[in-house]
Amino acid sequence: MTAPHRDPDTVEACARALAELKDTCPSLVFASLVTDDGFEIVSSPSSHDDGRLASMSSSVQALADAVAREMAVGVSEYMIIAAESGHIIQRRVPGHQIVLAALFDHHETLGKALSVSRVTAERLRTLPGTTTAPAA
Amino acid sequence: MSEHVILVAGPMGAGKTTAIRAVSETPVVSTEAVNTDRATSDKDTTTVALDYGEIRIDDEERIRLYGLPGQRRFEFMWRILVDRAIGMILLLDNSRPDPLADLAEYLEAFDGFLQRGSLVVGVTRHDHAGTPQLGEHIAVVAQRLPGRSVPVLPLDPRDSAETRLALMSLIATIEMEAMLSTTRSTP
Repeated sequence: MTAPHRDPDTVEACARALAELKDTCPSLVFASLVTDDGFEIVSSPSSHDDGRLASMSSSVQALADAVAREMAVGVSEYMIIAAESGHIIQRRVPGHQIVLAALFDHHETLGKALSVSRVTAERLRTLPGTTTAPAA
Repeated sequence: MSEHVILVAGPMGAGKTTAIRAVSETPVVSTEAVNTDRATSDKDTTTVALDYGEIRIDDEERIRLYGLPGQRRFEFMWRILVDRAIGMILLLDNSRPDPLADLAEYLEAFDGFLQRGSLVVGVTRHDHAGTPQLGEHIAVVAQRLPGRSVPVLPLDPRDSAETRLALMSLIATIEMEAMLSTTRSTP
């Protein structure tokens, strides 16, 4: 199996999905698709942080999953970081070891941010070339 | 109750998660993800945030064990977790291409912490790869941390007794260094 971040078809499909997300939601400041183990597949706009944000997204997602397991509330669906100047939504692409991290500016409603991020993640459900994410 | 925060550090695949699972008296919190970086290590999964376990020494003392991710791109987690730590078990996989370079890299990366915190080095897979020998690991530690007491032990992280011995060595080192520090500062 080719790792998602090294598979050209996966990278292209992910780039397309982020472009569509930006078209749908101009309040999107930054979005990234990363592997569960912290490698960036693609980001928009391109990041120049040597993968640091991808690693952080992966760590935060894993901690959220661990908390959900600890509290016995099933698999974590999405995660919100609400900050002064915007909110960050993280959610897993269903059935894949891939996480979407999206930063919206503070003008965007949380409801719409959650909705458009869900649509993007669902759109990527049919991605080829990656295996199903392990059960929590 | 006093609580000791101990870190378990080392390169990917050195046995950090295994060691914590071997000794923790509470269910271990793990943050493992499927490993897509098979060039670095041929493990199925890798820790991407932390492992967490606990050990009660007695009614008054408890050890909180935090396992750090082994890959350098998760270095930000090292910085977050190191602040409260008083000691570290550094696990080195002796079957990797250059364990002594791994040792030197970690001693450098945690140089600030090691000025105040105590260290035990556990050499894993020592039975599979006899070289470098423990003496060579000791020499690197002595060169980087002159005058410090740093136990260097062969360690099978699957063996709870061996891992617990390393932990107890670390606690003893912490207590000894604290006592020496007090002695030195007393006029």
